[in-house]
Amino acid sequence: MSEAATPLLEIKGLTVALPEGGDRAFAVEKIDYTLNPDEILCIVGESGSGKSVTAHAIMGLLPKPDLRIAAGGILYRGRNIVTMSDAEQRKLRGHRIAMIFQEPMTALNPLMRIGAQIEEALTIHTDLDRAARTARVVEMLAAVGLPNPEEIRKSYPFRLSGGQRQRVMIAMALALKPDILIADEPTTALDVTTQKQILDLIKEIQREQRMAVLFITHDFGVVAEIADRVAVMRHGRVVEIGAAEQVLNRPAHPYTQALIGSLPHGRAGDGPAFVPEGEPLIAATDVHKVYKIAGTRVGGARTLVVSDHVHLTIHPGETVGLVGESGSGKSTLARTIVGLVKPDGGRIDFEGADLLSLDRDAFRPYRRHVQMVFQDPYASLNPRHKVGEIIAQGPVAFGMDKAEALARARDLLGLVGLEASAADRYPHEFSGGQRQRVSIARALAMEPKLLIADEPVSALDASVQAQVLALLAEIKTKLNLAMLFITHDLRIAAQICDTVGVMKLGRIVEIGPAAQVFGNPQDDYTKALLSAIPGQGWTPPAARAEGVS
Amino acid sequence: MFNRDFTQAFLRNKGAVGGLVIVAAIILLALFADLLFPGDPWDMAGAPFGHPFEDGLLFGSDMLGRDIASGIAHGARVSLLIGLTSTVVAVLVGVLLGALAGFHGGRIDDAIMRFTELFQTIPNFVLVVVIVAIFTPSLTSIVVAIALVSWAPLARLVRGEFLTLRSREFVQAAITCGQGNATIIFRQILPNCLSPIIVSASLMVATAILLESSLSFLGLGDPNAMSWGFMVGSARTVLRQAWWMSFFPGVAILLTVLGLNLVGEGLNDAFNPRLRRKRKA
Amino acid sequence: MPQMLRFLFSRLTKAIVVLGVVVVLNFTLIHAAPGDPATVMAGEAGAADQMFVDQLRKQFGLDQPLYVQLGTYVGHILQGDLGYSVRQQRPVVDLLLDRLPATVALTMSAFVLALAGGIAMGLLAAVNVGKWSDSVITVLALLSYATPIYWVGLMLVLVFSVNLGWLPAFGYESIGAGKAGLERFADILEHMALPVVTLGLFYMAVYTRLTRASALEVSSMDFVKTARAKGQSEWKIVTRHVLRNAILPVLTVAGVQAGQLVGGSILVETVFAWPGLGRLTFDAVLQRDYQVLLGVFFVTSVLVIVFNIITDLLYVLIDPRVEIA
Repeated sequence: MSEAATPLLEIKGLTVALPEGGDRAFAVEKIDYTLNPDEILCIVGESGSGKSVTAHAIMGLLPKPDLRIAAGGILYRGRNIVTMSDAEQRKLRGHRIAMIFQEPMTALNPLMRIGAQIEEALTIHTDLDRAARTARVVEMLAAVGLPNPEEIRKSYPFRLSGGQRQRVMIAMALALKPDILIADEPTTALDVTTQKQILDLIKEIQREQRMAVLFITHDFGVVAEIADRVAVMRHGRVVEIGAAEQVLNRPAHPYTQALIGSLPHGRAGDGPAFVPEGEPLIAATDVHKVYKIAGTRVGGARTLVVSDHVHLTIHPGETVGLVGESGSGKSTLARTIVGLVKPDGGRIDFEGADLLSLDRDAFRPYRRHVQMVFQDPYASLNPRHKVGEIIAQGPVAFGMDKAEALARARDLLGLVGLEASAADRYPHEFSGGQRQRVSIARALAMEPKLLIADEPVSALDASVQAQVLALLAEIKTKLNLAMLFITHDLRIAAQICDTVGVMKLGRIVEIGPAAQVFGNPQDDYTKALLSAIPGQGWTPPAARAEGVS
Repeated sequence: MFNRDFTQAFLRNKGAVGGLVIVAAIILLALFADLLFPGDPWDMAGAPFGHPFEDGLLFGSDMLGRDIASGIAHGARVSLLIGLTSTVVAVLVGVLLGALAGFHGGRIDDAIMRFTELFQTIPNFVLVVVIVAIFTPSLTSIVVAIALVSWAPLARLVRGEFLTLRSREFVQAAITCGQGNATIIFRQILPNCLSPIIVSASLMVATAILLESSLSFLGLGDPNAMSWGFMVGSARTVLRQAWWMSFFPGVAILLTVLGLNLVGEGLNDAFNPRLRRKRKA
Repeated sequence: MPQMLRFLFSRLTKAIVVLGVVVVLNFTLIHAAPGDPATVMAGEAGAADQMFVDQLRKQFGLDQPLYVQLGTYVGHILQGDLGYSVRQQRPVVDLLLDRLPATVALTMSAFVLALAGGIAMGLLAAVNVGKWSDSVITVLALLSYATPIYWVGLMLVLVFSVNLGWLPAFGYESIGAGKAGLERFADILEHMALPVVTLGLFYMAVYTRLTRASALEVSSMDFVKTARAKGQSEWKIVTRHVLRNAILPVLTVAGVQAGQLVGGSILVETVFAWPGLGRLTFDAVLQRDYQVLLGVFFVTSVLVIVFNIITDLLYVLIDPRVEIA
């Protein structure tokens, strides 16, 4: 057991300086941690915590000259990487220490065959001849579970899906049997079922090869799924480090406690079940839509079914959730209801009128009843307009006096938990969470009956997510709104929705009360989705701190 | 858009400031040409083939004894006038067509973009020459011809911007809030693509000045106006004896175009501070 | 390679559309021009004799409705009849065909020089970004980009022909020297040097700037990070990963700008008395020989389309994602 005594990798007082004139002097400051053979260490933190910076420093991938190591060392088997020559560092890179990245879609060279890209690593670090290299490539592609390795070796990246590309990245990283694999949010860009496969693959290979894995993530579910040890980072410092079981269940640092406390608990049916009464507010019947994708330089014309004869009803006061993976058509359905997408057929009944049969002018009065909150807080507010103006524009378009609309905008800002003075500022002065509040205020200014929220928190950090979700729930109750909530995160859907519909390839495969769908799923796809949620074995301890500021 | 950050970023860029100084100097030269060089630039001012500094003429005289310096000062007017007017016309056409294509998409987009592509494919300068020759050279025919071959790239650019911005969530929000097409185009989208338009426009002025000078070099300039290209063109045959006659007007064109390009790049960098940092990285 | 054939076919259809529009544009110009279309076609008013004008009027059915006239005009062009130059007393087609080889030689050489030089310079600047070599290349490109082509030509003549006497300033070859074979070829090359450099320089500047920007952008992409994480050396990263990806946008622009390059040859040929289409254009402008001008417009459009197809083919060779459909 002497191996465990000498850490494979030791980070000692590592400090990485940011360029001058930023809001922070250091990206990370005095970081200490060790990585042992045969373990998975998770580095977890919110955006801007500096969790990736250390990993990039280990690989010598810090963007020059913006980021530079100001102090400290990185010891690999006792040798300091920081003071090594470039050539020495390159010998380690991709050979003893390998790395995979967040975006599999862009991590491969689009103009090179898959096989050639994996072979590149072999050519750099070994003397294998061409035949041996080819054999090794095929072997690796098979080892990461890709079908037809011989064929994939010869294809170009654009032929592969995101999950397949991430497998290729893993094959490339492991081609030389490294001691250390650094995985920088490797599943964040993937759908939940693909994420599950990739996590399983990494875990399996790690156990098999007794490799050390440094796994960077923002998702505590993923941590619970694979970590042996956890380091929690905030503002460029490690605030807590320890065994996974310890950190997850008995967090010592207040920040870790708050972070874990803000996670969606993923349990449905806390309150009394929603009983729909009377007529539905809105009923979508037989809605279908096929997209024709025009031919480009990169591919011929295709068709894509995004809405395949969908039925959906929403009652006043009800929160309906739509869950599904990317491309399942949930956003298209929402955009159809709000009138941004014109479907090929079907009807949408709202207060006795079929919205789809109305022409532009006849539809206009209905617009204000259905409002939408969008996903990307940075794209959903016009950067050239003041916040007050943004909120007032809708009512003004419907004939309200400008001064009155601006005064109401200030009231609404109060309702969503912002200062009234925010009205005079521009969007870029606000954080992501604050911008989502402005978006909500803009929707509310129209006094809608139905609020559609399209992934409203998926671009936000966990602690901010919790606050925005709480705000939505509060407003919904206060104003007795109906809500259509779209998300890829089943834990969130379970927590806030009365009714949940599961979408796949443009169809709703299962719909029912949240407790029923999550507690006793009937459809196979629903079951697969649920079992893919990472970290199911772990129930976060009850929140010990109230929110995080 | 032109806030303090922008001004600071622009002023920190040495090239941009240099360009601005050059452009300002040329504008002043054009404005005060009559004061600095009174009299008609077409009149004889000294002996023909006078070397620079001879007869008190800074840049010498041409084969008819006309003052080259005076010609350059008066020529600045034509260059700037044609550069600016043709750019204004081209920008109006380009923005209009680009906005229509990008905003409406579908068939309108297809039709407009085919048309635009055509204008980009055909040899621009040849078309300008043909048009100006057939309609006889005048300020109007030159401006129209230059504008005709300049709008297409801008239309493409604006169309691209509109296409992206149109699917941006704040525009979708404006639609759901019931704002009309005109409001969305002019209040939501257009202000957000002004910076690339301004940058292109400043570069288009430069290109237009080059085009005008090429036309007058070929003898297709407005016959009533002294212009830089004409000066170079007419001195071409005596290059061996009198280098200065074609040298100085050429330098004037070079400086003006360089200045405008520098200003355009400076604007671009100041509008996209993140991009600039990346480029310097 | 049926795919390649299909690709060529689709490009040819596009080319025919473009040429059709050029023909219509020519027709419109004749009719929109001040004065009688027949006198426009014959050349400057009063220059041609009345009998010829009457003959033109009959030949093109100028008393017929416009669409019939267009039909007649297109019919003539389809038969390879681009009109008759009264000034030169020769069919326009013959004049154009005489001059075409010289222009093709000049523009093709300049295009290759500009593309190869521009990509090399741009890449060099991008690799050394922020260092002195980058600054030098950037400044030179900026200057070349701002200089009128014809003036560059004159200044090169001044330096290399008048002062240094290294290279000939005018023409296609030494007249009356009686050179043949390899000797003649070398002589032509000598004559080509200055015109090709003059025309190529401006576009080299354009492609240098483009390549530099594009290479820098590609360098910040994820797959470059992947290559670095493999332990690849910086030089190999540039040659294996950055270069090919950075060239694609340059090729796209080069294709689009081919028209300007061909247009630029008018100026260069005028300066160097190069016996190509540009020189023909200059003479036609002086003589107000509109039939020739319109013919030049037509032929240069064809030339541009050829350039476009070449760049498209290069693109296809480099980018495996292009599905030729």
